[in-house]
Amino acid sequence: MIIAGGTDLVAQMRAGIVHPGLLVDLKLLGLDEIEVDENIVSIGARVTHTAIIESKIIGERFPALVAACRRVGATPTRNRGTLGGNLANASPAADSALPLLIYDASVVLAGLGGERIIPLSEFFKNYRLTALRPGEIIKEIHLPIPTDKTEARFIKLGKRRAMVIAVVSVAIRLTVDESCKIQTARIALGSVAPIPLLVKAAEGILENQALTNEIIAIVAQEAGRGISPISDIRASAEYRRNMVLVLVRRALTEISQNLQGAE
Amino acid sequence: MGEIEIRSTINGKTKVLKTKPARTLLSMLHDDLKLTSVKEGCGQGDCGACIVIMDGLAVNSCLVFAGQADGKEIITLEGLAQNGDLHPLQQHFIEQWAFQCGYCTPGMLMSCYALLLHNPNPDIEEIREAIEGNLCRCTNYRGVIEAVLKAAADLNSISQIKERKNA
Repeated sequence: MIIAGGTDLVAQMRAGIVHPGLLVDLKLLGLDEIEVDENIVSIGARVTHTAIIESKIIGERFPALVAACRRVGATPTRNRGTLGGNLANASPAADSALPLLIYDASVVLAGLGGERIIPLSEFFKNYRLTALRPGEIIKEIHLPIPTDKTEARFIKLGKRRAMVIAVVSVAIRLTVDESCKIQTARIALGSVAPIPLLVKAAEGILENQALTNEIIAIVAQEAGRGISPISDIRASAEYRRNMVLVLVRRALTEISQNLQGAE
Repeated sequence: MGEIEIRSTINGKTKVLKTKPARTLLSMLHDDLKLTSVKEGCGQGDCGACIVIMDGLAVNSCLVFAGQADGKEIITLEGLAQNGDLHPLQQHFIEQWAFQCGYCTPGMLMSCYALLLHNPNPDIEEIREAIEGNLCRCTNYRGVIEAVLKAAADLNSISQIKERKNA
């Protein structure tokens, strides 16, 4: 088994959930740099949440990713926890997964047979199940730099600001043309399905539209149809369904206000 | 699994330590090195009682394996006082009554120390963020915040005096 920051794995080992016979730490591979190559920002799998928060290029181009990383655990968790680890752990509540999904991230997977690159949206297969094959690791995460006017939001609902697993989380990105008509829409939801997911049907409603209050209400309803929340110790399924509507509406309203303010 | 040899700098002294690689840094510091300020609370990274500084950053030592501390510089609460003089943070924790039972205090102090390493003039919001991973259930966080503000002011005036002497 691979260990990176250990913030999930060590706790799971202690709780008796996993019993790895062998642990491999990837620190000798580096994989802890953020690099810009033309239109792609490449993030090594071992880059920590703290490093994301402190990165100038990520802050400028992918602010929703910084917002999400700020809400991971608390400072010590963010100092050790890595982006690759957060994805490989494949929790439906993974904070960094949502912004990475809306920014159309790809993951570079490496094994003895070579490397392959897949969209992050195809990486999560089922509850805590990923596209990683035996012997494969996440090497890098690739983010295409948005070229047009882009607004994005991340909202995490939890019982307190720090040290919580999301009850529901939402990330939304809209890319608009000069007349503020939506070209690309991405809506990612966390903690409401076995995996962090993009709700395609809701995204489709936004494309080629202006962001009016009517559209926002319709999109929020549609986003609520694409989910399968469960009841657990953190919240009931019914509460999660309601909160998806509220958070999608809130994120889109904030984006709408920002787009208008920028004109 | 057999033991490995790791080399870490702990409170300013380089040490070569024999340890099983997949036991926690917490257990190595507390049990082997008798640095008993490093306390186990929850053992799963939720409470912050075991926080130490590793290469300048606050980490939960219950979530770090001893093998991962190889080549690292570790500071525990025992490393704060110099020649018997308490660090200004420790002094102000006492003066502000920033603790009651004291179990969370070493971890709380290390989080605050890490904050001041990176940010000599934190505001209240930044202090709150620095200690959001430290649970205290018997007193309150106000004393802690006051102590950090006062310690930051002290440390800044000390460094100003030093600068003036050098100039």
